Amino acid sequence: MSQGASNTEYVSARVRARRAALFADEDYRKLVRMGPSGIARFMEESEYEREINELGARFSGVDLIEHALNRNLAKHFGDLLEWSEGRLYDLIARYLRKFDVWNVKTIIRGIYTETPAEEIQTDLIRAGELDDATLDRLLEVDAIEDVVEILDGTVYHDPLEAAYEQFEETGALVPLENALDREFYEHLLDNLGRPQEGPEAKYVEFLQAEIDFLNARNALRLARSGADLDPASYYIAGGVLFDQQDLNRLVTDLDELVDHIAENKRYGKRLSGALGQLREADSLIQFEHALDAALLEYSDTLSSIYPVSVSSVLSYILAKEREIENIRAIARGREVGLSESEIEEELVIL
Amino acid sequence: MSAELALAAAVETVMQNGDVTEAPFLEADAAAAIAVGLSALAAGYAERGIGAAAIGAIAEDDDLFVPGLIMTVLPETLVIFAIVVVFLV
Repeated sequence: MSQGASNTEYVSARVRARRAALFADEDYRKLVRMGPSGIARFMEESEYEREINELGARFSGVDLIEHALNRNLAKHFGDLLEWSEGRLYDLIARYLRKFDVWNVKTIIRGIYTETPAEEIQTDLIRAGELDDATLDRLLEVDAIEDVVEILDGTVYHDPLEAAYEQFEETGALVPLENALDREFYEHLLDNLGRPQEGPEAKYVEFLQAEIDFLNARNALRLARSGADLDPASYYIAGGVLFDQQDLNRLVTDLDELVDHIAENKRYGKRLSGALGQLREADSLIQFEHALDAALLEYSDTLSSIYPVSVSSVLSYILAKEREIENIRAIARGREVGLSESEIEEELVIL
Repeated sequence: MSAELALAAAVETVMQNGDVTEAPFLEADAAAAIAVGLSALAAGYAERGIGAAAIGAIAEDDDLFVPGLIMTVLPETLVIFAIVVVFLV
């Protein structure tokens, strides 16, 4: 853990300015009516100008948009880590490690499917704590075993090594990916304790919400698919909504699971609309979007309770991720010829 | 016992002469100097956070230079008020 004073004021001021530069609802409405090249042109006149210009010669259409989005995300989140100091750095880095997980997963998947390194390279989001040199070394290897070896010294080494044995037995990537996810989420709340008030209490509350929503999402998917999978291996500790017994019991019965979420004091009211929809329409995608929106709204409230704190940074991170996902959904949707209203359903807008 | 006697003597002096002959704990000038010093310290502490935020905002948008500067020096008024004290005593 890094020591020393944090520069919360500086980081929040910069983050607020960047937050203001995110696309507004009207922009999305415009984007939905454009084709991929139109979207790229629109992005060129906004925040994404540099990325689009840099990549414009190498890619076109949806690929250009996708790579520009990834690179922009990496730039912004890399900036966050560069600016912040002390305790604040620690809190931000903790959350941004999810991109490390994403990168390692992408590399493992790439090796598994024998994709050439250049193609994997473009899918990486260099926003996490693993430095460029490590990622480049990871790209060069062509056995998953070597990946585990290179990660020696990081938090991912031990769980990956344990999961590797399972991988060798079954030949499926699931144990490796699960190990990475669990490692990330279980370290998220390390040494934070249970602060009762102040910005850090809100930070913990938000992370708990994220874990809870993830558990809820997994449980719903399991309940819906009816697959004979062991729910315990998907359970992530640290949330307040489920404990492991709850989850084991609830995945067998979808209605009871929905009731369990609705009865929770913290989330019941916030998710009531989405839960109603889930009961009636049986639409899992809608519910998952509602969860995303609820998380975004949650982080927004947190950032207005303590304007100068880590929560405002977190809220920016979330909003930015959402923007990237929305633009990607629009571009991909237009590419495959979805109608405007179908695309709008895919977007997460507050 | 001796303290009480001393106090009684002091009271007697005041009652007889109408003023205190002993030197005060602080001269007025020294008190004013401490007031200015403390307020400058407080202003500096307040400006620390505002200055950091202002630099952050200016880094994102150059137009914010003037508003940032004004916001940063606002706590300086604390010191100005404290200097008024110097002229008053």
